[in-house]
Amino acid sequence: MHPILSAEHVTKVFAAGRGDPVVAVDDLSVDINEGEFVCLLGASGCGKSTMLNMFAGFTQPTNGTVCLRGTPITSIEPRCGMVFQSYALFPWKTVRGNVEFGLKVRRVSKDVRRERAQQFIDMVKLTGFEDHYPTELSGGMQQRVTLARLLANDPEVLLMDEPFAALDAMTRQVMQEELLRIHDANRKTTVFITHSIDEALILSNRIVVMSARPGRVKAILPNDLPSPRHVDVQLSPEYADLKRQIWQLVESEVRHHDETNN
Amino acid sequence: MVTLGPVDDTASAAVVTEQGDLRRKIAVPWMRLISLASVVTVMTLWYVSTEYGWILPIFLPKPATVWQEAQGAFAGGLLLTDVWMSSKRVFLGFALAGIVAIPLGVAMAIWAPAKAILDPFVSLLRPLPSITWIPLTMLWLGIGESQKVAIVFMGSWIYILLYTYESTKRVDPLLIRAARNLGARDIDVMYEVIFPGALPGIITGLKVTLAISWSCVLSAEMVAAQNGLGAMIWQAKDWGNLALVLVGMLSISITVLVADQVANRIERLLLPWERDRHQ
Ligand SMILES: Nc1ncnc2c1ncn2[C@@H]1O[C@H](COP(=O)(O)OP(=O)(O)OP(=O)(O)O)[C@@H](O)[C@H]1O
Ligand SMILES: [Mg+2]
Repeated sequence: MHPILSAEHVTKVFAAGRGDPVVAVDDLSVDINEGEFVCLLGASGCGKSTMLNMFAGFTQPTNGTVCLRGTPITSIEPRCGMVFQSYALFPWKTVRGNVEFGLKVRRVSKDVRRERAQQFIDMVKLTGFEDHYPTELSGGMQQRVTLARLLANDPEVLLMDEPFAALDAMTRQVMQEELLRIHDANRKTTVFITHSIDEALILSNRIVVMSARPGRVKAILPNDLPSPRHVDVQLSPEYADLKRQIWQLVESEVRHHDETNN
Repeated sequence: MVTLGPVDDTASAAVVTEQGDLRRKIAVPWMRLISLASVVTVMTLWYVSTEYGWILPIFLPKPATVWQEAQGAFAGGLLLTDVWMSSKRVFLGFALAGIVAIPLGVAMAIWAPAKAILDPFVSLLRPLPSITWIPLTMLWLGIGESQKVAIVFMGSWIYILLYTYESTKRVDPLLIRAARNLGARDIDVMYEVIFPGALPGIITGLKVTLAISWSCVLSAEMVAAQNGLGAMIWQAKDWGNLALVLVGMLSISITVLVADQVANRIERLLLPWERDRHQ
């Protein structure tokens, strides 16, 4: 089976204004298969966002290629839809206007896009808030709007950059469950960045652990925990084993990272 | 100095009511009271000092004289004609400046050659006060309406241009990225992201410039005009009618304040997503 998304020997170097250039990603290769839910896990500054930005076509690799269905991604790729860590909602558009945006710029007729937008607004449980502006919503609600905006646009791949990092624990759990439910329903390939080992364990089919800067693949672990991953799964020995394994991988990296920074 | 008291006071009261936060809600009744007290104090000082002859009428007329003069000017319809003439000139020059400068400002922000072309002229023209255009515009356009409108235009367009440029530049690049990621083309990015993103800043610029436009028209009218508030003040001075000068000054303040209120209303209509900021 061909991977839907792949990175082949990708290196990304940022030319810093002063001082040495920063190697953000170093010779990283990874294949992502259709329908998978992959979590990218790694220390802060290890190049996770950079990697995701290359998949979305916002920046190009210095060396190597990123491909969508075998063709290199060389410009912004709407088929790889992104959820930004900082929401990036249009403040001048209502919830409905934001969710309709992708359909509107593809010239979908007004009735059709209204109906589709409504479907996704209902899905993320924002019914009744259609005419609110983003500033009138809580952080969790805004993040749900970005999710609805992305899903209504129906991209082939979902890229998510720490989408739940700013949410409180309770909202985050609700959002995780919602995301899993959506993933079970439409089997969209998802690449999800997180700092949280638990989040990775609860959401993913596969976990890519990245090394500290420069970002390389440290390990790729399949996550075969049974789903749905409710509390009983989270308390099972298998969960604890996998968590310990990942923690050891990450711990050495975090320490290494701290040392290089001090 | 003393005559400017009431005018200054209204201006500072307006500033107080525009700070939109919680503190304001608590502070407003008190601040209103203090504003009122300060107006009453200055008016009393004015009344007492002129009534008892501490200040001679040739330097500062009595409040009652000013009031009579105002009634007279108002009843004859002359005052309203002057307000109307000045307003019309401001509106035409200001609208023309907006029509020209907003597209140019956007162009400068999104297309580097446009900036390269306009930059030298902006740098050269910006330091010139609008009155310096009076000789040239009179030579080219005479002393009719178009000359007044031209003065307003010349004094306003650069500010609108600069505000538009700045606010277009400052549209969050992340939002442009998000739009493109959702499949937006250049034209969509322009109409759906850059323009609405720049709009609050452009409107702020227009509001600031509107006050500047008013000062332009007044100086133009003082130099060469048959009517308008600037001409009225200047003529009143020639007749030695100081009370009428004060009436003219007060009319200017009130007219500009009313124009500002109208502008605020329009702003609220155009920027519904910022309504919590305007409350
Ligand atoms: N546009 C840029 N210009 C210069 N350097 C950059 C740029 N973007 C990222 N970097 C550098 O590349 C490295 C990786 O950044 P990146 O944002 O990918 O990290 P990250 O893994 O997403 O971190 P975090 O978890 O904190 O979000 C950092 O050291 C950063 O300083
Ligand atoms: Mg990041």
